Amino acid sequence: MIGILIAKFKNFIRNPWTFLIFTGMSLLMAFIFGGTNAQEVYIPISTVDKQIKDSYIGEQLEKEEGINFSWMSEEQLREKIETGKAELGVVLDNNTYQIIVGIDSHNTGLVEQIISRIYYEKQEQEKILTIVGQDETVIEELNHALEQPVFEIESATFRGEGAFIYDNSLHRIFGFSLFFVIYTIAYNVLPILIEKRGGIWDRLILSPVKKSEMYIANLLFSFLTGYFQVLVIFFFFRFVIGVNFYGRFVETILLLIPYVFAIVALAILVTALVKKVQQFNAVLPILAISMAMIGGAYWPIEIVESKILLLLAKINPLTYGLEILKGITVYSYSLQELLLPISILVLMGVVMMGLGIHFMERRHI
Amino acid sequence: MIELIDLTKKFKQNFAVKNLNMFIEKGEIVGLLGPNGAGKSTAISMLSSLVEPTSGDVQFENKSILKNPSSFRKIVGMVPQEIALYEDLTAEENLQFFGRIYQLRGKKLSKKVDEVLEQIGLTDRRKDIVKKFSGGMKRRLNIGVAMLHDPEMLIMDEPTVGIDPQSRNYILDTVKRLNAERQMTVLYTSHYMEEVEFLCDRIYIMDKGNLIAAGTKEEIKQIISSEKTVSIKAEILKHDFIQALEENPLINRVTVGEKEVTILVPKDANVFSEVIKLAETNGMELTSVDNKTPTLEDVFLHLTGRALRD
Repeated sequence: MIGILIAKFKNFIRNPWTFLIFTGMSLLMAFIFGGTNAQEVYIPISTVDKQIKDSYIGEQLEKEEGINFSWMSEEQLREKIETGKAELGVVLDNNTYQIIVGIDSHNTGLVEQIISRIYYEKQEQEKILTIVGQDETVIEELNHALEQPVFEIESATFRGEGAFIYDNSLHRIFGFSLFFVIYTIAYNVLPILIEKRGGIWDRLILSPVKKSEMYIANLLFSFLTGYFQVLVIFFFFRFVIGVNFYGRFVETILLLIPYVFAIVALAILVTALVKKVQQFNAVLPILAISMAMIGGAYWPIEIVESKILLLLAKINPLTYGLEILKGITVYSYSLQELLLPISILVLMGVVMMGLGIHFMERRHI
Repeated sequence: MIELIDLTKKFKQNFAVKNLNMFIEKGEIVGLLGPNGAGKSTAISMLSSLVEPTSGDVQFENKSILKNPSSFRKIVGMVPQEIALYEDLTAEENLQFFGRIYQLRGKKLSKKVDEVLEQIGLTDRRKDIVKKFSGGMKRRLNIGVAMLHDPEMLIMDEPTVGIDPQSRNYILDTVKRLNAERQMTVLYTSHYMEEVEFLCDRIYIMDKGNLIAAGTKEEIKQIISSEKTVSIKAEILKHDFIQALEENPLINRVTVGEKEVTILVPKDANVFSEVIKLAETNGMELTSVDNKTPTLEDVFLHLTGRALRD
């Protein structure tokens, strides 16, 4: 078995193009459609007094996560809103602010809340300083207290049943990764068909190597290359682009495993059902694209209303793969809450692999 | 050593192999001759325990290999018709891979790889990637892989298809050498009768799944001992001349080539004057008329009415 794996990896190093092409495609598509900072809300901001940018208000706005405050002139700000490039903008003065709304969305309230909090904090500080004067020790202690408060407050939101959260950036990363990895895995399972037709498989059958070892080596290699591809994509977005995966990066990459396993099993089933490489090349894109469309890789499945499509989605591994990945990140589900889609993927994998190997073995003793 | 008993393989309603009976003794080179689609590859796939027969049995030393193929698989080396190699690996890496599969390790593996590369004449090209090899070199390596575990028996399925004459001669000489030096048993399938005639002690001829002749070269040629073959050559073969040959009661069978007509006639018949007369009548100029020594091709022609490469 180790011998087969070594040969596979040597082959992979000499001919890595399938892997590189599909990894590159995933990165490119997720990058283009997901945007590099699409997780952040873009808000143009301008000031009446230029000193505000370097003051407490400016510092706090820079620190704000989730919203990208972009400094510009008021004229540019209004142009951005008029041309629809920004939902809203904020014009800051020393003690007041003005919110200019182009499209009324939930971000308006969110931005107003942040700005009013910062102004309130600024006023509080100013009041304290008025009382204590310019005592540097007190100012230092005040800053320290603000940075490390006595009570740590954690806030959480709740939502109604049936509501869904759409994170465009993560959805594209997950969708395109799960879609393109189907190709990488399938084209790594395909050599079983080629080796069977080319006589290598027969040579291995006649050797002391057990058939189970032959299958395990081939499927393990396909699994590892597929998993490695998704890891490369996720690591790129996490550490190069800075997508934070809602702080659950490790869980995300671990919970990919059932999906990759199910796709390896699907690939072996398809390989067993076709007779020629040409048939495989014809079937695979149809299958992968259908799975991506029905499973919600291109758009959120939550917006699909057709009962037939929703029914088909229930037998599609990609649906459950996305459900797990979005569940662990966007919805912050616990492992227990994700047991159902994980179990379905494992079951699908076991059934498809069993059928695939059975069909492949019909010809042989 | 090995016996095939009433071996049959049926795909849906078609018989790929029907009631095949064969035996192969230790140390002999046996040829399995037949045109493409005769059932040779299916027969050797069943013999080598790769394909399950519909009925019949394959026995190795009087034990069925269908139930327990492992003891037979240990002593057999398979050279498939296809190039069963990893084309992105070098010749040496291919041999190392298949050697490891046969549980060879360390110095033993290196020694064996060197030995096989020497035998197949690829020592100088050991570091080259297989996909850059010529067809003949790939075929040689294909054979080399089957020899790594020192098999007692080599099953070769059309090992010279699509290669140049020089490589073909090299392969045929290698097979002869292996048989002479190591007493290796060889089952050699081909549709090139001259290869089988050159190599084999005994020959089986198959057509459309059936065994149509078996024996030594001499025994098989005796099948047409009552007939002889006459070759008629001309630059242009006229249709009327061929029709006249076919209608002639002296001539048993007429096979038309591009510039040659082969006729089967009774051994004692003198057809020369008759053929020349027919040519003159039909305004045709002959370049030669020869009596031919019977070949396996002639036997096949006699038995099936078709040439081996039809």
